Amino acid sequence: MNPMIRKELRQRMRERRGWILPSLYLLTLSAVISFAYYTQASEASAALQGWQIGMALFLTLAYSQLALLLLMAPIFSAGALTIEKEQRTLPGLLTSLLGPVQIWWGKFAASLMFILLLLVIGIPVLSVVFAFGGVGPWEVGIVAFTTVVILGTISAISLYWSSAFRRSVHATAVSYVTVVLMTVVTLIIFGMAMSRVHAENGWHSIPLKVRAPLYLNPLFFLTSALVPKNQLYPEWFTCLGAFVAVAGLCAVLTLRNLRRSGDIA
Amino acid sequence: MIEVSQIQKRYGSSRALDGFSLRVEKGELFGLVGPNGAGKTTLIKILSTLIRADSGVARIAGFDVSADPLAVKRVVGYMPDQPGLYQDMRVREFLEFFAEAFHIPGQRRRAVVDQGLAASGLGARAESFVEELSFGMKQRLFLAKTLLHSPQVLLLDEPATGLDPLARVDLRDQLKRLNQQGITILLSSHILADLQEICSRVALIAEGENQRDSAGSSVIELHDRDASQPRLYEVGVLRDGERAGQLAGSVAGVKVLHAEPARIVVEISGDAARAAEFLRQLVTGGTQVVRFDRPPATLEQRYREAFGEKPR
Repeated sequence: MNPMIRKELRQRMRERRGWILPSLYLLTLSAVISFAYYTQASEASAALQGWQIGMALFLTLAYSQLALLLLMAPIFSAGALTIEKEQRTLPGLLTSLLGPVQIWWGKFAASLMFILLLLVIGIPVLSVVFAFGGVGPWEVGIVAFTTVVILGTISAISLYWSSAFRRSVHATAVSYVTVVLMTVVTLIIFGMAMSRVHAENGWHSIPLKVRAPLYLNPLFFLTSALVPKNQLYPEWFTCLGAFVAVAGLCAVLTLRNLRRSGDIA
Repeated sequence: MIEVSQIQKRYGSSRALDGFSLRVEKGELFGLVGPNGAGKTTLIKILSTLIRADSGVARIAGFDVSADPLAVKRVVGYMPDQPGLYQDMRVREFLEFFAEAFHIPGQRRRAVVDQGLAASGLGARAESFVEELSFGMKQRLFLAKTLLHSPQVLLLDEPATGLDPLARVDLRDQLKRLNQQGITILLSSHILADLQEICSRVALIAEGENQRDSAGSSVIELHDRDASQPRLYEVGVLRDGERAGQLAGSVAGVKVLHAEPARIVVEISGDAARAAEFLRQLVTGGTQVVRFDRPPATLEQRYREAFGEKPR
């Protein structure tokens, strides 16, 4: 095992936020699902069948989980490299036999593992949904995979900012700005562009340049996953390509910054 | 062991290193001294592979630091001026992490870590968190970490900064011990007394270049490395300096450089036995000797001559 991963996980779990954040996450998720359940049960219990309630709860859970994790992901990764600069521990790493790739991978994998931990501890909440039916392993799997890809990309972006700045506070702030740009600003741009376009024949008649910003939108990516299996192409695959490309680009840029960071180390 | 030739490094328009050259022999404890901003830290960072030089050549144990940084990392231990430690790790965990980072295999790792703990005197604090250690202990821990992979060369940038006097003495003793074990050490420091005591030679650096002292030398010899070289001795006497000077002049291999009523300075060629014989002849010749020693090369004086009296 990469020693960086073990070190990162050990340090993260020793921090107070190592247990506060998962606790808050679980509490919030439970509160959301409870609220959604009581809303569904009280307003339309007569009209809705069990599987419909299950699907509604699943969608609520999927989006709330993504929103919560989008808020948490920069906390784990934006400070990952800046903390090494702030503590002056980066020279020790760079002069060891760990290469920049191992350092990056250690930081990235540890961030992603913490997110996976959050996903796993959310399973008991998810099990409520199964009680109502309407949701199968495929839906759960594709939503979990999409969420992991989105958060992996956000982690890679945050790690890039962490390599570019010297202070954690700056890297974290810029990482949140990036999350807002991807989730909110892309929607606004799409909305503004759509107001000038007449797309009468559905989604596919919208020009690609108008749709393009949405391929970087985490909410759109998740939405594109919630379609029947045979309709994943092209939107879900395009989003997947866009997110993986952004993550890859950020990884390359982070490695470049790490190789140059001896000057500020 | 360390060869630096015409090395240059610029940061924007300012030159950190401007053609500096250096040669450190295997097994030497070599000092690097110069005012703030002279380029000492930049040089050590280049040698430790943290940064790349713009031009020039730097080699350690025959490996080019730019072309073969991985080979250099294997033979070099680097200690920066402000060593960073993971405060939330235990002492043993910290060493184990770096032992793994230096690819020390599992079965040997534990032994190496135990050895590091024992050598640094931190065995009893192995399970303490790093943040609980005193500054001196942290410095010892970092030095232990630097030695985990048994480097042939140590690059130390101001290692005594912030240490109290006892911790400084302790560090000095550790460096002497390591040097006696055959480790070549390049040590940058502002504490001239420390350099004076432990280094065999000291290089002068200013504005990124080799600085020369009034004698035209850019490297000051502090302790004789060659026993056959003439050595200076100072002899304190009771008012019969003139007679002592005459006696000294008649002894083979002894040259009188300076004579005063209460003191003579001589240069003796040969080994310590020649000096002992000279002393015996002085005493048997009736000179009342009150002191017989070798005046140390005064690094502070040479530093002042090279860099002037005013701080830069």
